[in-house]
Amino acid sequence: MRTVKQAKLLRLHFAESDRYQGKPLYEAIVQRCREMQIAGATVFRGLEGFGESAEIHRGHILRHDQPIVVTIVDTPENVARLIPEVEQMMDTGMIVASDVECVRIENPPADGK
Amino acid sequence: MLQKGAAQKVTIFLNEDTRRHFSSLADSILTFLLHKGVAGATATRAMAGFGVHQVMHTASVEALSEHLPIRIEFIDSPQKVEEIMPALYDMVSDGVIEVQETNVVKVANQERPAPKTPHIEMRGAARMMRIYMGESDRWQGQPLYEAMVQRLKMMDIAGATVYRGILGYGVKGHTHGGRLPFSRDLPVMIAVVDTQEKLATAIEAMEAMMQDGLIVLSDVEVIRLVRSRPEAEPTHANG
Repeated sequence: MRTVKQAKLLRLHFAESDRYQGKPLYEAIVQRCREMQIAGATVFRGLEGFGESAEIHRGHILRHDQPIVVTIVDTPENVARLIPEVEQMMDTGMIVASDVECVRIENPPADGK
Repeated sequence: MLQKGAAQKVTIFLNEDTRRHFSSLADSILTFLLHKGVAGATATRAMAGFGVHQVMHTASVEALSEHLPIRIEFIDSPQKVEEIMPALYDMVSDGVIEVQETNVVKVANQERPAPKTPHIEMRGAARMMRIYMGESDRWQGQPLYEAMVQRLKMMDIAGATVYRGILGYGVKGHTHGGRLPFSRDLPVMIAVVDTQEKLATAIEAMEAMMQDGLIVLSDVEVIRLVRSRPEAEPTHANG
């Protein structure tokens, strides 16, 4: 089965060391997305980067402070609902939204599992 | 030089002892093909067979073993085949010539390094495809992301990158990753950029490989993509 529809792709850029109410910000954001019944969220860790603070985020043996990107794909309405929520959770960082076409794949398992 | 895509395969069936100008016909044909710059030709001696004369030629009876069938095969572009066919037709005084449409999937040349050709450039409007899946998703026993990248490479797609996420949830409804430090079902995303037409074919192929998951498409602008291509592969406008 295949469904194609217009959607929004939201990308949140911040640092791994950012925290929200004592827990990692990325975990808090994913949890909030779940609570708000957003279709899905994925967290990626970058290797190296810098942002508005011009501080280089890089992996270290003892200290993890690499760049984090959270990507979310959902309907424009749901994304609009989510943006103010994450905005107040994020301290510094960047929120980017773009228009995308979204193809949802639901093929029945080939081996009948 | 042979190129990927549509081609023709010519098979010639002969008798080993058919002669032409004091040498064997099979040798003359091979020499002729080499001289004409055909991409490659192979002559094989058969175990046994019979032909238009309805005589069984076999290696097991000595009296008949001088008369064994030979099969010469070569593959080249339809233009090339058309160019040399009249001469071949003339040469094969006793035997069969057969032409088949075929599809060249790969031409690899290990011995000689590919000649440096002008770089292919891609610029301007393009499409980006992001495919979301789980790391534990499999396709015919192989990790799905690996199978997909292989398939995309075979389809001559400009490039693909696999990202592994550290946390996420989505179509499957369960959380990938999380507190367990060694989770083996982390989210995986493949990002692919190419022209609209080429991505359209790639989407079909990727879709067939996925059980569930999400494909997200967006319009992007390629600022610069330059790469060199071996001559053996076809060059298509805009990479």
